[in-house]
Amino acid sequence: MAESASGSADKSVQVKLVLLGEAAVGKSSVVLRFVSNEFQANKEPTIGAAFLTQKCRLEDRVLRYEIWDTAGQERFHSLAPMYYRNAQAAVVVYDVTKASSLEKAKSWVKELQRQANPNIVIALAGNKVDLVLPSPSTSGTGSSSESEDEADDATATPGETPGADGQPESLRQVPREEAQAYASEAGLLFFETSAKTGEGVVEIFTEIAKKIPIEHILASTRGGAGRPGAAGARPGARQEGVNLEENPAKSKDACNC
Amino acid sequence: MECVDVIILGTGLTESITAAALSKAGFKVAHIDVNPYYGSNEASLSVDELVQWATERSSGDHDDAYLQAQAATFPYISTSASTLPQSRQYAISLAPSIIPSIGPLISSLISSGVARYGGYRLLERVGIYESGKVRDVPGSKEDVFKNKDISLVDKRRLMRFLVFAASEFEDSKELAGKGDVPFVEFLRATFSLKDNLASVIAYALAFCVVASEPTLPALRRIRSYLRAGGRYGSSPFLVGHYGGAGEIAQGFCRVAAVAGGIYILGKRVMAVQTVPPNTSVDAQPTSGEPVTSFKYTVELEDLPEKLSCNVIISSADLLPPELRPSAPTHVEPPELPVVDLTGMLRCIAIIDSPMYFAVSSQTPQGSRSEEDGSTSLPDDNSHGKIDTAVIVFPPASLPGGSTSSSVQAMITGESSMSTPSGKWIIYISMLCCVGTTGTPETMLNPYLEAILGLTVSAPTDPPLKPLFTTYYSQVLPAADTLHDGLDPSVLVSPSPQPFLSEISDSTADKAEALFWKAISALKSFHYPQVDGIEAIWPSDTVQEGEDQDE
Ligand SMILES: Cc1cc2nc3c(=O)[nH]c(=O)nc-3n(C[C@H](O)[C@H](O)[C@H](O)COP(=O)(O)OP(=O)(O)OC[C@H]3O[C@@H](n4cnc5c(N)ncnc54)[C@H](O)[C@@H]3O)c2cc1C
Ligand SMILES: Nc1nc2c(ncn2[C@@H]2O[C@H](COP(=O)(O)OP(=O)(O)OP(=O)(O)O)[C@@H](O)[C@H]2O)c(=O)[nH]1
Ligand SMILES: [Mg+2]
Repeated sequence: MAESASGSADKSVQVKLVLLGEAAVGKSSVVLRFVSNEFQANKEPTIGAAFLTQKCRLEDRVLRYEIWDTAGQERFHSLAPMYYRNAQAAVVVYDVTKASSLEKAKSWVKELQRQANPNIVIALAGNKVDLVLPSPSTSGTGSSSESEDEADDATATPGETPGADGQPESLRQVPREEAQAYASEAGLLFFETSAKTGEGVVEIFTEIAKKIPIEHILASTRGGAGRPGAAGARPGARQEGVNLEENPAKSKDACNC
Repeated sequence: MECVDVIILGTGLTESITAAALSKAGFKVAHIDVNPYYGSNEASLSVDELVQWATERSSGDHDDAYLQAQAATFPYISTSASTLPQSRQYAISLAPSIIPSIGPLISSLISSGVARYGGYRLLERVGIYESGKVRDVPGSKEDVFKNKDISLVDKRRLMRFLVFAASEFEDSKELAGKGDVPFVEFLRATFSLKDNLASVIAYALAFCVVASEPTLPALRRIRSYLRAGGRYGSSPFLVGHYGGAGEIAQGFCRVAAVAGGIYILGKRVMAVQTVPPNTSVDAQPTSGEPVTSFKYTVELEDLPEKLSCNVIISSADLLPPELRPSAPTHVEPPELPVVDLTGMLRCIAIIDSPMYFAVSSQTPQGSRSEEDGSTSLPDDNSHGKIDTAVIVFPPASLPGGSTSSSVQAMITGESSMSTPSGKWIIYISMLCCVGTTGTPETMLNPYLEAILGLTVSAPTDPPLKPLFTTYYSQVLPAADTLHDGLDPSVLVSPSPQPFLSEISDSTADKAEALFWKAISALKSFHYPQVDGIEAIWPSDTVQEGEDQDE
């Protein structure tokens, strides 16, 4: 992974980011693009990914996203509150070729506003925009970013989108303006993305990074185990968190047993 | 029709750990709960959810079998208010617990990867109530050594005992023939410990709840707690964020989902059909082939699609009537001890004033500083202010209190993410023996008052009034009688022990046993996965590579 490029890992701020959206809108694909700069044409419904981490450099700071995928628990509306706890950012994804997925996205936004940390930064992503744009020869879109993944270029994926070539705009069911209007009204960042071409993907994460109150997070996790899920964004919670996976090397056998 | 290998009913800690273990071992799990929240009887609830929990269970006649069973488990519930502001910022646990830093639960949290999903902090203090005061309990030999309040003679005896308790004492001459002697007696007779020292050891180190508790298990608990001390800091115990057990259950459920488990909450099981063995649609499985025929079909409320499975695991109160042994009494709800309050009496109180108890005089704090910065105590602790603590009231320690039971109280505040800033939750629990009468209020109020007394600094201050209280009683599950007569492919999960320091580890052990029972049930359906099972418990070598970092 591109980790090695990152120099001082210690200064990075961890940010818990959760993904939400209807099944098959491309949540996992968007993350896969961001984290590994890959795309899989026939991605299985998500199982097997607990969370991924990816760094994102922003001017002088480094954010380390801890990205939580829903693991399918949202399928029957059974997402655990744990999922939202202490999330500092959320990406709510819909599919521009499926109107109902925007409605679903709106209900997730509501749920987040009700359940999650009040300062959470939410981005709305209209994904699969490659299906509706006149074939973007702009393979550079994904790499104009400050992410560490820019090294290998984005276009390894053969265009095997059946039927998308003919009259692409007709596939669009959610006009950009409509989603944009909703997003500004609800106070969300907004992007149209394609996990397939990489368009807009890195931008989501860098724009979120700019909006996140990093000082605040730093202040609440300073010096401690530093896990966002653990140490938490609540101001009063000092760094009293314990990292269970910390190697308990210094058990004081000599004096306890 | 959705086909899975195992359907698990109930998302209590036991079921959730089992779900994670089965799912990670390669079985397809559907995990279902009738409640809209995770955690069943160990859930972490907001104030609103707690009030609703109480209302549903205490309001008269239930046509629903689950609520009937719940009303039998919680025969008495009362709440003082309908809600509080910032309801959602509270995580109130139905099973308050402290987790030994070394033990089966912590091991399974780490080996399953669940450790990454939640947060934990060290328990700040354990105090013992004695003649109107709460005093710090030294948790280690080091603490005893530093403690200036203990006389030299007592220190020597105490040290001798602690050395013994930390040893492999099973075959020692001290213990020979005395494993079943009441622990307090053993301490007096064998280690010449005075009553109040014996009391501190039995109730605040071993967390005994009654004086008759036998020596061997109590000694074993002390040994494991002594060994746990120092792993993450000076206290042997951790407190889980957001109410602990309920949040940990969610973590295990997430791991189960990540490995392919299906989660359906807030849905009732409407019917379970057993498919007769030979009418299975598909051919008999040949060994090594994936299993394609299923024994049970389960129909859920409001879900058009049915679920099929071969093994069903259920908490006792969710076991579908169709699967109960066909004794004539099977539709009767369990008999209720209505007057008789045998079981746990519990109180949950929310307060908005900090609590203090004196820090025992110790050699200067300096000795603590070599400890990792993340475990150092917050500044205000030096004045005795507590945010996360346990207070033990030995039997007969409190006028008007129980003379036979030790009462345990746990306080959690903002630093365990369970309350908004400036609020604290007090949990009080008392084991009640057969024949006790009264209400949880009358039994527990003296304790609550004593604890509220810790919030005021001047004796002239008016006593504090809690913002919210719930009192309830919880009947302890009878030893697994439900297993008799069940089909081998139906497993009833044992309920967790209700005791503060034991819930977590005993539940992890029970879940492991349940997991292996499920594996042997699955064996008879010729699942290829049963060979070479990788469980989440054994050997510290279990590792997974999902996390791309580091
Ligand atoms: C794990 C553990 C923790 C304990 N923590 C404490 C504690 O934090 N504070 C505490 O007072 N006791 C503590 N004790 C009890 C303590 O060790 C003595 O047993 C107890 O103080 C003496 O009580 P007594 O009524 O038997 O003696 P008495 O002879 O009746 O004591 C008379 C008075 O002298 C005081 N006293 C006795 N020994 C000492 C001493 N060494 N230094 C100063 N005053 C003394 C007593 O508090 C009492 O006020 C602890 C015991 C154990 C096992
Ligand atoms: N053309 C195109 N296809 C995409 C894009 N993003 C995802 N897909 C495809 O859409 C399908 C679903 O993508 P996933 O990433 O699995 O979607 P998901 O939201 O994670 O789905 P669940 O995990 O089932 O909730 C896969 O076949 C992807 O290859 C995109 O930007 N363009
Ligand atoms: Mg996915």
